[in-house]
Amino acid sequence: MDPSEVEFLAEKETVKIIPNFSLDKIYLIGGDLGPFNPGLPVDVPVWLALNLKQRQKCRIVPPAWMDVEKLEEIRELERKEDTFAPVPSPYYMELTKLLLNYASDNIPKADEIRTLVKDIWDTRIAKLRLSADSFISQLEAHAKLDNLTLMEINTIRAFLLDSLNCMYKLRSNLQPGSSKGQFTDY
Amino acid sequence: MDTQSYLPLQPGVGMEENFLSLDDILLSHERLPIRTECSFPRLGYLEKSTDAQDIPEGTKMELPLWLSKGLYEKKRRVLSVELPKVYREGWRTVFNADPNVVDLHKMGPYYYGLGSQMLHFDSPENPEIAQTLLQTFIGRFRRNMDSSQNAYNEDTSALVERLDCLEKALFTSGQSGLNGFQSWEKGRASQLTASSLVLNYRKRKMADVPP
Repeated sequence: MDPSEVEFLAEKETVKIIPNFSLDKIYLIGGDLGPFNPGLPVDVPVWLALNLKQRQKCRIVPPAWMDVEKLEEIRELERKEDTFAPVPSPYYMELTKLLLNYASDNIPKADEIRTLVKDIWDTRIAKLRLSADSFISQLEAHAKLDNLTLMEINTIRAFLLDSLNCMYKLRSNLQPGSSKGQFTDY
Repeated sequence: MDTQSYLPLQPGVGMEENFLSLDDILLSHERLPIRTECSFPRLGYLEKSTDAQDIPEGTKMELPLWLSKGLYEKKRRVLSVELPKVYREGWRTVFNADPNVVDLHKMGPYYYGLGSQMLHFDSPENPEIAQTLLQTFIGRFRRNMDSSQNAYNEDTSALVERLDCLEKALFTSGQSGLNGFQSWEKGRASQLTASSLVLNYRKRKMADVPP
């Protein structure tokens, strides 16, 4: 999966905007949006919010978790725990990037938020590598991916799957005769 | 994201070779030390060291893997295959001590593939060979993962030169994950670029087309 595909999925998340135009309810396949009234907050998907923002038709209200204090708490929790701590949003990395790139004037302390999210990401990736290593070295057969986001899984997917594949084949060497005719999948 | 004009087939790694994999074809040309158990009449030209017409019984020579595999039979002893140096007891101890220090490219370059293929020849050491292969892979995994996930925009030739062919393929897939993420983060993923297929495409001249 390409990171831009993950980003595409993240654009389905809803975000609150304050429009400065008025429009009746619009009916789309994915659901009805609106009605839009100037000054009244309304929930829309991120793709629409960014589009309206770029045409200067609205102001984006950042999600509740996109706040320096809350992110600092999450960062501390992430550093303290050995396991993956729950994240504020399953698309926290993508949403931060999208909203900060296109609507940084609506988000207070945008730079600090960017750094904090990057810190959280780095901590989690380091944990992910550590757990992947212990997963391999202890010859485990299955793992539970609690609280991992799609983007995090995506960065390591190709490598981990290929490695597990190789390891499985090397392991089946240990039981001679069991591997006959098993790999003819071309 | 790198798109290739063809999808290379992964090597089979295990006891079964992947018939269409280029790596496995190259692997089948690795030479193995063997000892003939019967005489091969009129095949003396295969053995370069003597001018004799026949290969007598008990000659020690080297044959490629594909030929030894074809000639090897449990019931009729045509030849016996000796283990290459790297799979013998002495080197196995080295691999078990610290797999990270070994230059697998020099040892192999198909260390895992050839090791798995050696299991076809019933040697009493087979279980230990299989165990060592697995332990070596596991021992080198962390280092391979870290180097492939961290080396962004730098010269990786120093990192991959000691890797086995199999590990090199893993390194590349690790790099593709890293590069994909980094280019997304820098916002380069949203720019449209021409496909490498189009860039490499050259118009054929009329003169090149066979009639």
